[in-house]
Amino acid sequence: MRVRASVLADYGLLQEEELELDGPGPGEVAVRLSAAGVCHSDYHVFSGDLPLPTPMVLGHEGAGVVAAVGAGVATVRPGDPVVLSWLPSCGRCRFCLSGRPELCRVPATAAQHGTLPGGRTPFRRGVTREPVYQFSLTGAFAEVTVVPESGVVRLPPGTDLEVAALLGCSVLTGTGAVWRTAAVRPGESVAVFGSGGIGLNVLQGAQLVSAYPRIAIDVSQRRLAAAIEFGATHTVRADQDSVLDRILELTGGLGVDAAFEAIGRPETIAAAFNATCAGGRAVVIGVAPPNAEVGLNAFAFPSQEKTLTGCWYGQSSPARDIPALLRLHNAGSLRLRPLLSQRYGLGELERAFEAMLDGSVNRALIVFDP
Amino acid sequence: MAFFADTEALYRILGGFFETLTTAEEGQLIHRVGGPVLFLYHRPEGRLLWSPLPPPGQRPAFRVAYGDDAAGEPPLLTFEQDADTAHRFWLGEIDLAQALARQQLRAIGPLSRAMKLLPHLDSVYPRYAAWVAGGGPA
Repeated sequence: MRVRASVLADYGLLQEEELELDGPGPGEVAVRLSAAGVCHSDYHVFSGDLPLPTPMVLGHEGAGVVAAVGAGVATVRPGDPVVLSWLPSCGRCRFCLSGRPELCRVPATAAQHGTLPGGRTPFRRGVTREPVYQFSLTGAFAEVTVVPESGVVRLPPGTDLEVAALLGCSVLTGTGAVWRTAAVRPGESVAVFGSGGIGLNVLQGAQLVSAYPRIAIDVSQRRLAAAIEFGATHTVRADQDSVLDRILELTGGLGVDAAFEAIGRPETIAAAFNATCAGGRAVVIGVAPPNAEVGLNAFAFPSQEKTLTGCWYGQSSPARDIPALLRLHNAGSLRLRPLLSQRYGLGELERAFEAMLDGSVNRALIVFDP
Repeated sequence: MAFFADTEALYRILGGFFETLTTAEEGQLIHRVGGPVLFLYHRPEGRLLWSPLPPPGQRPAFRVAYGDDAAGEPPLLTFEQDADTAHRFWLGEIDLAQALARQQLRAIGPLSRAMKLLPHLDSVYPRYAAWVAGGGPA
């Protein structure tokens, strides 16, 4: 079938194109997208900071309706509403069996090659049928995409698919970093570096477990205003104040129990680590370029028992955690609708990137014609 | 035990293989990188530079410089690694993302330019294996 897609032809060059889409193979599912969130990770690929093969269909945070299923697919059928998971784990490897499916090497290797786990990409273009790669086994900036069966999570009928799209990355990642990676307890202090789509969900997650204070750090006044809306109790303008001094002031000179870096820059990773108290945890969620390196004080590790760790996809199990997040949303505990500040068409992805970068949106959403 | 006994072996085998790429179809990919690429090696120490020869389409597509000769031109991209890591990379045995994460390989410069080449290297790896099996240059 032919589908419209936003194709990254080369780094910095996006084109709306009509592509040929192969049908789902065994164990695969075709999904007609309703909405797809625009994430910094998409921008990192666009800019070349996260170098992946081109041409590529970007987008990894999407929700839609199952259009067709391949042989052997048992968990969904055509017409089912689903959210995409960009980490379709194998379920059999050491990491999956030890409860860490987010570390499964099968999707990691496929994502590096821009393909599905079998090594093929469902998208092709032109008379030569040139392969068009697929970002993170999803390629959600296309009217229809093909993903592994474990790359979809079935939703209850009638689920708001615009809201559901966000569950596929930013909400799952932000809340998971708090609840699972840092395991923040009531009354612990947190600092969040970066108040974009991920950072706002870190704050919501911290608020839900009654962390205090919840300090948001950003250079954008608008993003800091949004941070307050999503649970920050204090804000720091990183371009105007000394971030470390302010955090120490707010925590009685100790530093925070848990610091979250949601930007992906070596300087802010170091700043997050330096902002933690003795025994504290710094969690890196932001995706830095693969050749970036961080400088840290080595003595602080043993002498203050500090932990620096990473968080990939909220350390989540999507089939377990996405329905739970949806229930929290339906119960009024998790605010998702206010995250959606602006909608764009498929051909407006660059405008959506600009809005994300200048801080004028909480989460930009690409919406598809029904 | 290191695969390359000394710098001379490194230059003869790996440098010699790079020389074969200068006239191969894949050699044209250097123009997608858009500038010189420097490879710094340890154990044994060595440096090799790919210096593009415009215009695209011409063969050889680039010049290989060795040792001190490789120090004269500022590189766009630099890759630093043990020579054994390089050997395994050209055999297709290295996961680049993992190697970067473990600092087995350090990349300085616009890595995205080099990543454009990766999908095209699948045809190069077996040729390096054959080159090594044949003992390098005739």
